Parts: sequence; C-alpha cells; structure tokens
Amino acid sequence: MKKVLIHIEELSKYYGKGGEIKAVDELELEVYEGETFGLLGPNGAGKTTTVRLLNCIIKPTRGTATVNGYDILKEETEVKRVTGLLAESPGLYEKLSAYEFLKFMGALYDVSRDILPERIDDLLKLFSLDDRRDYLLEGYSRGMKQKVLIAAALIHDPPILFFDEPTSMLDPRAALMVKNLIKGLADRAGKTIFICSHILPIVEELCDRIGIINQGKLIALGTVDEIIAQTEKKTLEDAFIAITGGVEERELLAWREQKGAST
Amino acid sequence: MPVPKWFVVARNEYLIRTSKIRKIRPYFPFLVIGLLTIYVAFITPAFVNLFIDEFIAFFLSQAAVAVVEIILFLIFFYFIIIPISNTLKEVQTEQQEIVLAAPIKPSDILLGEFLGVMPFYAIAAIVIIGLFTAVLNPLGLDMVQIGMIIIIFIVTFFSALWIGTVIAAILRTKFGKTARGKDIGKALSLIIALPAIGLMYAIIGGGLLEALADPGTSGMVEAILGLLPSSWGAEVIISFASNPGNITAVGFETLTRFGGLVAFFVATLWLGAKAANRAYSLEPTTFISSRAKPDGVFYKTIKYLGGGGSFGTLLVSTFKGYSRRLQNLSYIAYVVGLLVLVTVFFMQPDYPEDATIMGMFLFPILAAFVASDVTLRGKDTLFIYRKTPSGVGRFVKARLVQGWIVVVPITGAITAVSTILIPQTTFISLLTNTGIMMLFVAANVAFALGLFLLNPAFSDKSGNFIFNIFIVPNVWLGIFIISILVFDLPLLDSLFYVMIPLSWLLGIVFLYLGKRKLSRIE
Repeated sequence: MKKVLIHIEELSKYYGKGGEIKAVDELELEVYEGETFGLLGPNGAGKTTTVRLLNCIIKPTRGTATVNGYDILKEETEVKRVTGLLAESPGLYEKLSAYEFLKFMGALYDVSRDILPERIDDLLKLFSLDDRRDYLLEGYSRGMKQKVLIAAALIHDPPILFFDEPTSMLDPRAALMVKNLIKGLADRAGKTIFICSHILPIVEELCDRIGIINQGKLIALGTVDEIIAQTEKKTLEDAFIAITGGVEERELLAWREQKGAST
Repeated sequence: MPVPKWFVVARNEYLIRTSKIRKIRPYFPFLVIGLLTIYVAFITPAFVNLFIDEFIAFFLSQAAVAVVEIILFLIFFYFIIIPISNTLKEVQTEQQEIVLAAPIKPSDILLGEFLGVMPFYAIAAIVIIGLFTAVLNPLGLDMVQIGMIIIIFIVTFFSALWIGTVIAAILRTKFGKTARGKDIGKALSLIIALPAIGLMYAIIGGGLLEALADPGTSGMVEAILGLLPSSWGAEVIISFASNPGNITAVGFETLTRFGGLVAFFVATLWLGAKAANRAYSLEPTTFISSRAKPDGVFYKTIKYLGGGGSFGTLLVSTFKGYSRRLQNLSYIAYVVGLLVLVTVFFMQPDYPEDATIMGMFLFPILAAFVASDVTLRGKDTLFIYRKTPSGVGRFVKARLVQGWIVVVPITGAITAVSTILIPQTTFISLLTNTGIMMLFVAANVAFALGLFLLNPAFSDKSGNFIFNIFIVPNVWLGIFIISILVFDLPLLDSLFYVMIPLSWLLGIVFLYLGKRKLSRIE
C-alpha cells in the first residue's frame, strides 16, 4: 500500500468580512510518497493559497493537513524542514550573489556547515551557474533567477517539493530544463512533488495524478486519462474548460459587431 | 551546533547593505574602527578645545537640560524615522515567502534585521557619543560617570532603532501587499520627515535656543520632553555635569532616570518580539481594490479645457494618472510644508522680499517634482505614446498642461497669502507678486518637463532624478546671484527683467529638446 505523504482534511481558508471570500474551501486530498501531483486551476482558483497553507506560511481558517506525518497546525517547524518551496513570484535578495544567497538559505534550513559549501557547488554546477556564482543576482536573467530559486528549494534535500508555477516565466529552453529536473527528482531521487500550474502540457507531461481546483473547491481528481474520460472530451485542455467553464468561441469576436468598431 | 537563526538573518542583512563595497568588505570593519578611533581620540578633543569655555558655560547654564533634551529627542526621533522611511520608500515583501517557508521564528527575523543594520547606525552613534564625551570630559567627570553617559546614549539610540525596525517591519507587511499600500508607503516616507525638519528650523531660524535661556520657556520644554525616554538620559547627563566626580550627590535621580531608561529598552525589546508575528505575515490585509468613480465636474472641466475631444480625454487621463498616486501628492505636501516652515521660522516682517526669494527657489522644486512623473512611470509608458499617431507631441502637451494645472494655482495661492501677511501690502503689489511668481513657475514646469525628458529618471532613487530635482532650483540660484551681485539689480527687477524671460527661454528650449529626445528614447 502506498504511503500517504500529504493528507489534507477539510482544509479551508476564508478571507474578508464573515469569510465571504473562500480562497480554499473544504479541500480533501491525499498525495502519495514518490508521486508527482499536479494542482490545476485558473488564476485565483486557490492553488497558491493551498501551497502556502501546506508550507505553514499562512494558517487555515478550518481543517488541517499533515505533511510527512507532521501537522501543519502543531508542528510548523518540522513541516518546514521536510518541504522545499519554489514560490510563484518570490523575491530574491538581489544584492547577494548566487553563492551568498544559497549559503543564506542553507543556514536557514540548518544544513550542516561541513556539507553546505559542497552542496552549493554541486547545485550551481547542476544548473550551469558555477561560472557566475559570485555575480549579484540583480544581473541574472529571469531563467537564471528561477534556477537559483529551485536550487534554494533543494538546498536541504527535502523529501517533499512544492513547485508553484515552475515554468510560467521561463523561455522554452529554461522550461525544458526545469521539466527534466522535476522528472529526474521524481524518478531518480524519489521525491514527492506537488506542482501548481495552469500550463496544461506541463502538468500533463509530469504528473502522475492531477486535481482541478476552481473557486477554492477541488472539482476533479484522478489521472489525466481519468479526467478526460470523466468529461467525455478528447484532450485535457477541453476537459479543463468543460470543468472550469470558459468563453464560447462565438462570443470572442462579439465586440466587433458594434457599430463602427471595425473602422 | 547550528548557527542561531537571528545571526543568519543579521549576516544576510549586513551582506546586502555592504554589497556596493564587496571588494573591501573584509577590511571594512577595521577601516571604520580605525577612522572612529582617530575621530574620538584626536579630532573631537581638538575641536572641543577650540570652544572649551563656551561648552563649560553652556553645561552649567539654565538652558542646558532643555537643549540636551532637544538634541537627544531629535536623535531619538531620527533613529526611529530613518529605518521606517527607508522601508516605506520601497516596500518589498517578495522575499518574505521564501524566508517564512523556512523553519525560523518571526522574532528571529526581526532581531536579525535589527542587528544586521545596527553596525551602520552604531557609526552615527559613536560620532555623536564621541563628541559629547569630549565636551563633558573637561568638566572633570569620573570614569563611572563617563561610562554611564556612554551607556545612556547607546540605550537611547538602540531602543529608538529597535522601535523603528519593529514599526518598519509592521508597516512593510501592512502596505507591501497591494500597489495602493506601496504608494501610501512612498508618500509617508517623505512626509514623516517634516516634523523633524520643523524642529530643526525652529532651532536654526526660530530662535528656539535663545528662547531656552528664559527659565519659563526652558521649564516648559523640559516638562513636555521630560515625558519621553530620550529626556531621562539628558537629565542624568546634566546632573553629572553639575556634579563632576560625585555620583552619590545625584544617586537617587540617576537610579530612577537611568533605571527607567533601561527598563524602557527592555520593555521595547519584549513588545517588539511579541509584535514580530504581525510584522512577518503573508496573510492578506485587505481585499478592497481602489475603484474609479465616474468623472465629476472637476474632470469634466479639465476635459473641456483640453478642447473636449481626444486631447481632452488624454489630458484627463494624464491628470488622473498623476493625482491618484499618493506619492505625487506627498511631493506637493512636502514642498508646501517646507514653504510654510520657512515662512514661519525664517521670514522677518522687516524684509518682505524674503518670501519672494524663498518662493523663487522652492516653487521650481515643486515644478520639478510634478514634472518628474513624466518618466518615473517607466519607459514602457512612454512607448505607448510613441506608438500612437502624433502621440509624442500630444503627450508632452498634456503633461505640460497637467503640470500647470497642479503647480500654478498652488503657487498663486501661497504667494498671495504670504504677500498679504506683509504689513502695508497694496492690492497692486499683491497682484504683481502673485502674477510674476505664477508666470515664473509656469515656465519652470516647461523647463523641468524638458529636463526630465532630456535626462530621463525612471526611478525616484536614480541619480538622474536627484540631479534633475537639484538642477532646476539651482539654475535660478546661480542666475539670481549673478543678476544681484554682478549687475546690482534690485530683487523685483531681477525677477521681472532677468528671471522670467530667461525661465521662459529655458522652458521653451528644454521642452523642444526633451520632446525630440522622447522620440528617440530606446
């Protein structure tokens, strides 16, 4: 039987007066050891909030979850030690070099001083950044910054990795590198990976199972094939639109029908 | 054993702050310590020797307690304000997510940030402490008294810095999550300096120090400032100065004041640590987005003034883009505030032309701040106009008119009020003064607009921004000095025959050159 590494129970996060904004609403989910799980959803669906809740960055309004057996409400520090996070739009300390930044992150995660320099060197080599290790991050391209952030998420070699929109800001070459890395981490390093994205091909290619979230609610769960079959569509894209709703094709050019608009 | 987390954050903060001097980073502390040692051991004693009699007389005078209280209050206030102002200038919360995802307590982040910046504030503290101890030394204070004075300064400075760090962290979290919040932060960063400037002007030009020689006035200042912890140390320092080498003579007073100061420091540390959870949080603080209302009479009038057609729409859009940014409004409030402070503390009824001279330098600063918005929104905004047919010309025209609508009425109102305040002002002189100043500032809007297009500043922290803001008023300072000293012209003649024609000439030339540059910016 597969070991459950992330167990989510009625996890909810409400905002606003009287909790009228339901960012995450009674989420129930299990992610297994060694699995690559994709949480799919349109912008504002609640993906990032879910990741923040599971990483103990924010607290749930209701419900709870365990990550590698640790309760997110009672064992924050332990949860943080077993997870690595690549946030959607994280800020780097731009006035630090890549080496200094990774050293800082390693120290925050209590990576032993005996192994930290070697690990930083290895990660910088892996991401082909070793020749730029002493350059300030402010001079890095977006793809290079993303590589540094992934290296930071891996610095303490956690068993569970959260990638929030890992390729959304990258060019095709950098995106391919990130995809291959995630595959490698899952296949060869046995990591459990939780990916949030709205880029369907990424999720389709990398994930063993996916969940579709919309307006805070999990509305579909299964393998890509299962979800396509459930909606009786041919592709994941069609299935996603069918589940979450979208603009009908005939409505797309309605604005041109207005008098004089085409002149 | 793992390194304490607060130390990791402090080291990180120190590395960030010294990134510009990375090459000399290993020697930097030794260099600073060496220079400070020379300053404390040689420079301050030599400086104090020059004025030794005046210093001794001062410390034994009636005004000493109040003056030292004011000095300590000013330093206390600045040590609180500087970290807040620096944070508000550019509110950044983006790094918080990766730090909060790590196993670290918010109180460790706060302590680390405080300790990371402390060495730089310690330099300022040592400069001040060095001077004070050098001044007090000739009075014959013993080592215990000198030591306690040093501790008083350290505790006062660092409790202020800690308060500033905690408030800055809370405000960063409060304002950093929305564009509106960041805008409020930038606006506040400028405005919060005004009270301290006011106090400084009161000392320099308002005769505050002279007034403190009066027992009634100094007693009142002491009573008010005495409530603040910065004053408790001041009272101990002055009591030591009055009883050099005899700490027992003021034992009880020393114990209560000094003890109170230390207790205050401990309390602020404890409260700050308690507030840390609120200071580092990614929980959203608001879900209210700013919403535009339908255009009212004001915008309809502006559109009408712009001819009502597409240029009118462009003018209204430019105006909205400008006035909905609180940072822009804070620039106006700041310059107007400065003008009021200058008028209150420096203007003398016997010299009515002072107001005109002040206006001649401060109104161009206002014009420069207002015009700066033209490039501060970034190159991409400028490219929008470059893309549209005849966009560049219409954009510059809209910006010019928008600048006039903002700056000219403010200048007119302030000049009129300050002219009315002058005794025996005639209606004609009121109209002349106001009209001349409005003409002058209108030309300065064109000049500043052209300058900002010619030498674009895409950030308010850039060198170009500071250079342009500096150049606009100082051009007039130079021309004013030449016309008064070289050509010996009276003030109004200088303004009317030299400054106004020249300002319009410069305005037209710079606007033309700026418009040409805008078409070529890449």
